[in-house]
Amino acid sequence: MEIRKCILFFLLSLFFFSALPALAGEVRLSIAASMTDVIKELVSSFGKEHPEVFILPNFASSGSLAKQIVQGAPADLYISANQKWMDYLVQEDKIVAATVQVFAYNSLVFLGRKNPQVRTLGDLTTLSLIAIGSPKSVPAGQYAAQAMEAAGVYEQLAQEHKLVMAKDVRQALIYADRGEVDGAFVYRTDGLLAQNAVVLFAVPAGLHDRIAYPLGLTHAGTTNSEAQAFMAYLKSPEAVKILNRYGFEEAVTEQ
Amino acid sequence: MLSLTPQDIEAIALSVKVATAATLLSLPFGFAAAYLLVFTRIPGRAVLEGVVNLPLVLPPVVVGYLLLLLFGQSGVLGPVVHFLDIRIIFTLKGAVIASAVVGFPLLVRSIRIGMEGIDDQYIQAARTLGAQWWDILSTIIFPLCGRAILAGMTLMFARSLGEFGATIILAGNIPGITQTIPLAIYEYTNTPGGDGMALSLCLVSIGLSFVVLLISEATARSFRKR
Amino acid sequence: MLFEVDVEKKIGDFSLQVAFDLSEKRCGIFGPSGSGKSTLMHILAGLLKPDKGKIILDGVPLFDQANKINLSPQERRIGVVFQHAHLFPHMNVRRNLLYGWRRTPIQERRSTPETIIKVLNLEHLMERGVNSLSGGERQRVALGRTVLSCPRLILMDEPLTGLDQDLKFQIIPYLRNVLDQFEIPLLFISHSLQEIRLMTDEVLVFEKGRLQQRLAVEDLARRRLVSGSRGYANLLHLPSPQAHGDLWSYRWGGTELILVDPGGGGDNLFELGARDITLFKQHPVATSARNLLPCRVSDVFGDGNRIGVELACNGGHLISQIVPESVRELDIRKGTEVVAVIKASAFRRLY
Repeated sequence: MEIRKCILFFLLSLFFFSALPALAGEVRLSIAASMTDVIKELVSSFGKEHPEVFILPNFASSGSLAKQIVQGAPADLYISANQKWMDYLVQEDKIVAATVQVFAYNSLVFLGRKNPQVRTLGDLTTLSLIAIGSPKSVPAGQYAAQAMEAAGVYEQLAQEHKLVMAKDVRQALIYADRGEVDGAFVYRTDGLLAQNAVVLFAVPAGLHDRIAYPLGLTHAGTTNSEAQAFMAYLKSPEAVKILNRYGFEEAVTEQ
Repeated sequence: MLSLTPQDIEAIALSVKVATAATLLSLPFGFAAAYLLVFTRIPGRAVLEGVVNLPLVLPPVVVGYLLLLLFGQSGVLGPVVHFLDIRIIFTLKGAVIASAVVGFPLLVRSIRIGMEGIDDQYIQAARTLGAQWWDILSTIIFPLCGRAILAGMTLMFARSLGEFGATIILAGNIPGITQTIPLAIYEYTNTPGGDGMALSLCLVSIGLSFVVLLISEATARSFRKR
Repeated sequence: MLFEVDVEKKIGDFSLQVAFDLSEKRCGIFGPSGSGKSTLMHILAGLLKPDKGKIILDGVPLFDQANKINLSPQERRIGVVFQHAHLFPHMNVRRNLLYGWRRTPIQERRSTPETIIKVLNLEHLMERGVNSLSGGERQRVALGRTVLSCPRLILMDEPLTGLDQDLKFQIIPYLRNVLDQFEIPLLFISHSLQEIRLMTDEVLVFEKGRLQQRLAVEDLARRRLVSGSRGYANLLHLPSPQAHGDLWSYRWGGTELILVDPGGGGDNLFELGARDITLFKQHPVATSARNLLPCRVSDVFGDGNRIGVELACNGGHLISQIVPESVRELDIRKGTEVVAVIKASAFRRLY
């Protein structure tokens, strides 16, 4: 008798908890790692005006996030650090094409241990270890690789095994900040967060694709009114101010 | 079906290199530790036992982080490492050390069991015949626990092939230097469309483990025949 | 050789306390299981540390608790033959045999491996793995191994106990030969009086961790005639026999003995119980027994209802066991002439 009651209770609570997401007032975000801090603040300021909404952000490299969404992870809103992964999800019919628009822009810098000798991409070959987000899944790494290739140093650095693959741009930042590598390619916005490392030079924007952050809603997101409310908030003047403060360039609403 | 990029081949070669180096490096220390724990009554045996077994119960990531604290720029052994002009963090040495530390308890455990199984009376007989302790160690103890040593090495090698947590913290993910099979697979699992590659590497990993197991069995059998 | 031993050891409830000085070349340690023989052996070999006392061999202290001396087994140069041989399983016979030899300093080496191998008849076994040897072969290899480590003294801890009866006595000649040839003093530990009689001349009797008696082996055997359950066994070394009809005739001193057993084809050792010798005042007229030996009584001993009569026969000595009533009836005393009557089937061959 006791055991049956326990099993019943167990099954009920399972059902109850699994039904929770269906309850209104919840928004799931999948956000590129480089936007961790700015989104956290945006979520908190949105929450002041909409306290009943429960926002769950998930931060990782854009590639991992795209992978997760394709595999069925729940998400309402996705912000990627490059267009490639957004296009991928649209293609996989996970993101509604009509909802896609550019949210913000960023630029790439190289930061690391103070070193007056390193001023351009060409000088990188004199260093022993450079961290970049893994180009396979981290947009910052892809942009960095693009820039290094354009400067003609990528091949050499890869062959000499000087590149440390980080799982996202934040990890690359930590490696540089801790001094375990001589330098890392990170976004300008991340450079502002560094404690010990200094920006050695800005990567010329012409050497890589424009760093644009598209955002889009999943099918679940389009039926979630709170998600849409949040998305609208992201384009508000208040949100733009916060964006700028963190170093991002806002997208001029042309799309 | 099995599509491997040159980077993948590098990862496989690296995995084998690291596992082999870690196992061979740990062998003398593992043997010594097992001997001290089984045949001596030195003070501090309990502490030694604890230290040896620690990596077995700690999450590998913790082990990796502790090693990082030990060998890092500002670590405990930082000055020593600097003085000797060797780099541990983000190098092959780091990967080997990570695997060696994580697999060490497995090696010691195996050898211990072998040593404990040696009949004490052989050692008594050897003593009455004039053999000193190092003599007994090499002529009696070592040969008689050969199977156990081999089992321990196999276990450790297999564990090293799969080592991820400590390796990624201490040695980082550097293709060609420290990107072993597990790290490569991890990278692929984060890459949209990388499933095929991840699977290929998984198959290679399984195949390698199989081969190691077969070799170990065959050698153990040849021991038994004697 | 002079072996001075004075040690004490307590293990749980058991306590060992012995003191003796030994100069005999062949000494036995005799006692039932649990009497402390094995413990003493381990202490003498250096494998167990006594609580207090001292052990001195030929003037060299091996253990002296007061002066904090405790030589390790490898330094004592005392060889041990264990009950179960303990041959190294991962080595063949050759490597086992030479293990101690190789670790003996050159100036201490006294014999050569070839000699020992020959004496112990091990030539054909040299390359064999030790796991394929029979019990007797294992003990011979064990003995060879110990002797080749050129010890100053050999301790044998019940080396024959685990062997079959037939095997046991086959090994004894080997043991005696080796020890005779290489003149190594022996301390032979056993709970079998028979083995002790065959291997040693003097014996220390142990019981409950204490030394009870110290006497010649023969005297101990005679005392056991009176106190033991099996009485006294006469041991007779007899040469190869000649055929005697369907029986066998053995030369024994100045006379001959008729036995049922054809012998082993070389020297033989026979056992004849004292109880199997019947004494007649006069030569019996017709009897089924084939051995009728005229003897003279040389000693009468014993008490209770067991009396041992030592007889001098025209060849050797025998001891017969009879009851006091018979002693009176036949007027048995020193000098009396009697006839010892023994059946041909009463002799039991040991080897």
